[in-house]
Amino acid sequence: MRKDQNLGEYLRMQGVSRRGFLKFCSATASLMALPPSAVSQVAEALATARRPSVIWMSFQECTGCTESLTRSHAPTLESLIFDAISLDYHHTLQAAAGHGAEAAREAAMEENKGEYILVVDGSIPNGNNGYSTIAGISNHDMLIEAAENCFAIVAVGTCAAFGGLPNADPNPTGAVSVSEIIKDKPIINVSGCPPIPVVITGVLAHFLTFGTIPELDALGRPVAFFGQNIHDRCYRRPFYERGQFAETFDDEGARKGWCLYKLGCKGPTTYNACATLKWNQGTSFPIQSGHGCIGCSEPRFWDKGGFYDPISAGQWGSRDALLGAAAAGAALGVGSALAARARKKKAQAAEEI
Amino acid sequence: MTLLEFASGPGLQWALWIFVFGITWRVVGAVFLLSRKDISKPRHTNTISAGLGAVWSRSSPARAFEKKIRFQHVTGYAWHFALFISVLFFAPHILFFESVLGFSWPHLPNTIILITAIVATAVLIALLIRRATHPVQRFISNADDYISIFVVLVPLVTGILAFTHFGARYETLLAVHLLSVEVMLIWFPFGKLMHMIMTIPARFQAGTAFGRRGVKA
Amino acid sequence: MNTEAMSLQDFRGKLREMSVDTPGRDLTDEDRVRRAKKAFAQKLNGHRAVDMDTCLQCGMCAEACHFYEATQDERYAPVYKFRPLRRFYRREMSPMRWFYRAFTRDITVADLKEWQHLVYDACTGCGRCDMICPMGIKISAAIRVMRHGLAGAGFVPSEMRIIRDEQRDKNTLFGVGAEQLRALVERLGAQGINVPLDREQADVMLLTTAIEVLLFPDAFAATAKILNKAGANWTIRSDAFEAANVGIITGDDPTMILAIKRIVEKASAIGAKTVLMPESGHAYQTLRWEGANEMGEPLSFDVISIPEFVAAEIKAGRLNLKTQTNGASVTYHDPCRLSRKGGVTQQPRDVLTAMGLEVRETASNRRENYCCGGGCGEFVLKSAADLRQKAFEIKKHEIDETGADAVVTGCSNCRVNLMIGADNSGWRTPVTSLVETVAANLAD
Ligand code: SF4
Ligand code: SF4
Ligand code: SF4
Ligand code: SF4
Repeated sequence: MRKDQNLGEYLRMQGVSRRGFLKFCSATASLMALPPSAVSQVAEALATARRPSVIWMSFQECTGCTESLTRSHAPTLESLIFDAISLDYHHTLQAAAGHGAEAAREAAMEENKGEYILVVDGSIPNGNNGYSTIAGISNHDMLIEAAENCFAIVAVGTCAAFGGLPNADPNPTGAVSVSEIIKDKPIINVSGCPPIPVVITGVLAHFLTFGTIPELDALGRPVAFFGQNIHDRCYRRPFYERGQFAETFDDEGARKGWCLYKLGCKGPTTYNACATLKWNQGTSFPIQSGHGCIGCSEPRFWDKGGFYDPISAGQWGSRDALLGAAAAGAALGVGSALAARARKKKAQAAEEI
Repeated sequence: MTLLEFASGPGLQWALWIFVFGITWRVVGAVFLLSRKDISKPRHTNTISAGLGAVWSRSSPARAFEKKIRFQHVTGYAWHFALFISVLFFAPHILFFESVLGFSWPHLPNTIILITAIVATAVLIALLIRRATHPVQRFISNADDYISIFVVLVPLVTGILAFTHFGARYETLLAVHLLSVEVMLIWFPFGKLMHMIMTIPARFQAGTAFGRRGVKA
Repeated sequence: MNTEAMSLQDFRGKLREMSVDTPGRDLTDEDRVRRAKKAFAQKLNGHRAVDMDTCLQCGMCAEACHFYEATQDERYAPVYKFRPLRRFYRREMSPMRWFYRAFTRDITVADLKEWQHLVYDACTGCGRCDMICPMGIKISAAIRVMRHGLAGAGFVPSEMRIIRDEQRDKNTLFGVGAEQLRALVERLGAQGINVPLDREQADVMLLTTAIEVLLFPDAFAATAKILNKAGANWTIRSDAFEAANVGIITGDDPTMILAIKRIVEKASAIGAKTVLMPESGHAYQTLRWEGANEMGEPLSFDVISIPEFVAAEIKAGRLNLKTQTNGASVTYHDPCRLSRKGGVTQQPRDVLTAMGLEVRETASNRRENYCCGGGCGEFVLKSAADLRQKAFEIKKHEIDETGADAVVTGCSNCRVNLMIGADNSGWRTPVTSLVETVAANLAD
């Protein structure tokens, strides 16, 4: 595919019909929460969009995010969008390796200065730069270099967005998110472990369509996808309201599809699009398959208590500490009472008419 | 650390420590200020049952008084029942208690809890208004009385907001709700919320004192 | 019977004479506060501490107090009457005193002055408020501690101070001493009523009060007749007959203990098995419930009130009463110190019904009974006259509602108060005493 081709031409080349294209556009529009009237606008924009250059960097990651994007079946909207971009560097996917690959990256950066999109998955070890290097360059340095002339950064996955699993306590590598290193570029956090593929493509579609950064929430996530929590969109919600809960994973309640709150579902505090977009072309999502949400799109979800502890469980501390507090209180009580009794005795003894 | 993590972790722990520390301090301190044994010849010697009787009988006013304090009588019951149902029979609360007590009990549907919580809030507001306007209550009230109402009112309101996801994000509301409960726990031993603990010993001692004189407390 | 008595008018004149404002003790302000606190510290114990710590500030107690009910003045809410004690407790004795001190105001001389009115004029210590408190707080006991504090600080109202000093220093009350008693005994002897005065040995030692000797000698005579009729081995001692205790009324420990001691020592000396209390609520309460505790050891005799005695004698068959058949009805006014503070509520009713009288209960009765309005020495205070009358109206109203022909009571203080109230308001329902009613109905 030629770089100067626009998206419309490219799709026609791939045998996508006008009708198929419009279907794609309306799906994209609804994905971005645009009204139906915007479909033609989207179609127009997408048809004439130039394929943006994308540089994809993988740091401390498990490749799950890339897998999530690429393992989808057959030609899908996601893969179409994915194909539509000019992926100039992705060391997991590209054929080139070693110095050749690095040279390609440098060339792309130079050629698209100020316009390319930097996609990052994985966190950056900040404790010792030697923990993760590519071609001898530390993740930290490579990120700084690549970020310098980019248009925007998309932090894909919870690792890049918030530190993720590498950042979990005790965080041996000193892993941090992209936003903790890069302060002067727009960063879009597409969190999730992994993120929903449609969400990644949705963000890229937004770039293609509008050439701008989508509206973000307080954690830097696109509101269109992270604006609502799982609980509010969960199809098991009526059971929650009625107080019908599965107590174990194999009880009557679990079989009947009751709410998973008691089994540790983090849906009420998790913002993601799982309950609406679902996974695997809208087949299902974790709660539907019978497991509570683990809150993977939220910062530090590894460290917020057990996955199977209900949200309302508190960390009560040790019993010994409580007993200690009681003992201290009792000691103070006895002391104060004895002092008061001494005072009473003294008053009773004092002769004074 | 997010607000919610603070609220359900260290915040909760500190609040509990202060709660337990303060209660034992106050109870032990009052109990150790023992009275001299009453050596007058008792009319009735079964003072224990008289004491227990008072714990029960003071739950409702004597006949001659009922009419005059009907408002307090009715609101008092409404308030305490609605509060206890909301606190003790809401599923997430039970899970909260279960995480320390290790056992749980059946819960009520959320709709019922929502109703009791609204009733409790409304009654408490009515009591607050009465305290601020009734000549006697306004006159005798001090900061403790108002603080004690507010530290209970806020958890109720934040609880309802968190429940209905109204006003802010759920985790923020939940954190604020937890924090407000913690404020309540911290204030508990220092203010008159302590009556929750002291009512029984106070009534009991009245019952024994009246009982040994042959008077029904 | 008609033993010569001082008229109510003369007695009221006597009270008026007393109410000249004599200067009290000359103490500096700091001294007063210090002495009040000392008395508070003496009287505070675990019981009061739990009370202070449990009050809900609900204000319900106001609804039980006749002074609040009569005036709707919020300062008369019982809970407010012990406020300085609570402040003292919070600041200086409570387990959390270090914490409370930060925002609890210290008590001042101005407070003590203000509370003199609240705890002497506006509280008869009747304990009706104790019966309404949902927490079971002994409010009247706390107010009594307040009287101790004020007495310590030299804030006893002058009328009370005068009679207290009289009892402490001269062992007389309203000028009634051994001589006046002896004269009364002689007069009764002339009427054929034998009073075994000053015996060295007796099973029953009777006490009386100056009020009886002055105003209600008939009640005294009636008691003597009943004792004689029942065949009791009894006496009354001219050196220890006064049952009233102005020490407990004013909150003055030395006088209280002295007055108790006089009785206890004499009763032990003559080997009395029973001390029979006259119709005086506070006197009964003092000896019956405080006596042993103040003496520090159990008493060697039983303390019994007249209604208890009469009821027991009837039951034992030693006393037979005539049964009225004229359908007369009475209402019984429970003296607070006999009823809710003493547990003597059934006996007087049993005695009245034994005489065939119909007992009509007031709407509030027994442990919930309304105070006569002038107990605990309040009736001597001129400054309390208005309040007293207003409180009396409540009582009067309840009695009128019963439609009974007469009010019977078991306390001469109540009787004086009801009579003064009636006198002021032109109320005609006769007020009489239980002993007199019994004596009038003794069967041969
Ligand atoms: S399963 Fe989870 S997200 Fe769904 S209703 Fe229950 S708690 Fe909410
Ligand atoms: S349901 Fe929750 S844990 Fe599961 S993928 Fe979605 S956000 Fe992550
Ligand atoms: S009724 Fe009892 S608890 Fe209520 S204000 Fe009076 S003393 Fe306090
Ligand atoms: S003891 Fe009697 S007079 Fe005193 S405050 Fe209580 S109800 Fe009122």
